[in-house]
Amino acid sequence: MTAHAEPPRERRRLPVVDALAPPERLAMLRILVGAFAVAYLLVRFPVFVQLGDRRTGFDGVGLAALLDRPVPGRVVDAVIVVSLFTGFGFVLGWRFRACGPAFALGMLALGSYRGSWGQLLHFENLLVIYLLILALSPASDSWSIDSRRRPRRADGSHDRSSDDHRSSESVAYGFPIALASLALVTTYVIAGVAKLRYGGLDWVLGDTLRNHVAYAAARLDLLGGSPSPLAGWLVRLDGIWPLLAAGTIVIELAAPVALLGGRIRTTWVVSAWLLHVGVLVFMLIGFPFPLLLVAFAPLYRVERLWTDRPIWLLRSTDQIAARAASATR
Amino acid sequence: MTFGWGAAAGGRRDAGGVGRRTRILITLGVAGALVVPVLLDRDDFPLSTYPMYSRSRGDVVTFATAQAVDAGGRTTALTLSVIGDSDDPLIVAGELRDAIRDGRATQRCEEIAARAAGWSGLPRDTSMIEVVTERHDVVAQVSGDMSLLERRVHAACVPAR
Repeated sequence: MTAHAEPPRERRRLPVVDALAPPERLAMLRILVGAFAVAYLLVRFPVFVQLGDRRTGFDGVGLAALLDRPVPGRVVDAVIVVSLFTGFGFVLGWRFRACGPAFALGMLALGSYRGSWGQLLHFENLLVIYLLILALSPASDSWSIDSRRRPRRADGSHDRSSDDHRSSESVAYGFPIALASLALVTTYVIAGVAKLRYGGLDWVLGDTLRNHVAYAAARLDLLGGSPSPLAGWLVRLDGIWPLLAAGTIVIELAAPVALLGGRIRTTWVVSAWLLHVGVLVFMLIGFPFPLLLVAFAPLYRVERLWTDRPIWLLRSTDQIAARAASATR
Repeated sequence: MTFGWGAAAGGRRDAGGVGRRTRILITLGVAGALVVPVLLDRDDFPLSTYPMYSRSRGDVVTFATAQAVDAGGRTTALTLSVIGDSDDPLIVAGELRDAIRDGRATQRCEEIAARAAGWSGLPRDTSMIEVVTERHDVVAQVSGDMSLLERRVHAACVPAR
């Protein structure tokens, strides 16, 4: 079975290119990223629906750059509905060859259209990149409706990539995960480079970070929102800003260490997560994809969330499976 | 292009339909695509330069906003949804700024006034809705001190009751 074949031994194993993983890891990544995207679409449903009413200020980006004017509202509604429908297919691994790319393209279209009104947001970039990678991968080879519907062998087991979590590892499953990891660390490095490029040393040594925190709170206050109650306290602190600014840039530029794995990866993930927590607490700007840790999922053996589930959950799911099996006999 | 479809039929290919050379090319392609916006200095979606909060910023900033004003000139803040029909301050601020820049402040003011008319929090003595830009010392503003340095009215309109 070529899906589980190893690269030739005489070749030096390259990072990303020759990364190995079991099918369940890619499947769990599909489930986590897909579930996040569907939940995001549901939570932000009113925002996306409102896009259909807009008629002025259109300046297409991404996929929407192909348009020279806003599309009718019913087109936006249709893309939302199709995206939601295929999103469930993406998570469940149902007709994934169709649902996967359709959902990824739907989210790309909606994200593009949302950013096409003069204000590019950056909440959905990495999410859409992950969806595109997963959509073009064999992410439904395991833990999916598709894998359960595949022909069974004479002994009753699935043809390949059964739900047995001891499946062997393959580049077919490791490569997309490694590609997502590469995208993750690259985006953080780019964010760090941007601060040095646009802000220069003043971003680190001056009061730029303090002024950004104050700016975010003042903007929210003047627009009638509720700024963080901690912002006023924080901006009055002297002496901490160069440290916080330098720390921010070091965390972003150091992102590639996460690819090394082990403790250094987790140290970086915790640091990056705390950075996002700080932005949320003091500026009330939440990046839910990393805050909920889904963005960091490609760096871990996420299949263990299920295979190493707590004993009480193990018992209950085994009971459910046994009941389902007896019901189908 | 798929990374792994038809894995079982891939012959000697080790990633199921995608050979090692192709994976190298895909890796270089993805890495290159991520870096291209940086080289071109062009922010886009989903490939971005991630410029948010990266520019140097002083403590004096000009904001675009809209306010309720009474006959005595006293101002009251509206809400994000009244000003911009959204709960996202980035979108509300960005669109209002663009409307002022593009000479659409009056049109935007009338839209805001229409929404304000249905807002239960609008002060009873409101006589005008104004679309303004204000210069503030942001550190003073957040600290609760006097911060307003300059105020400019771009459009004024009457909220329909």
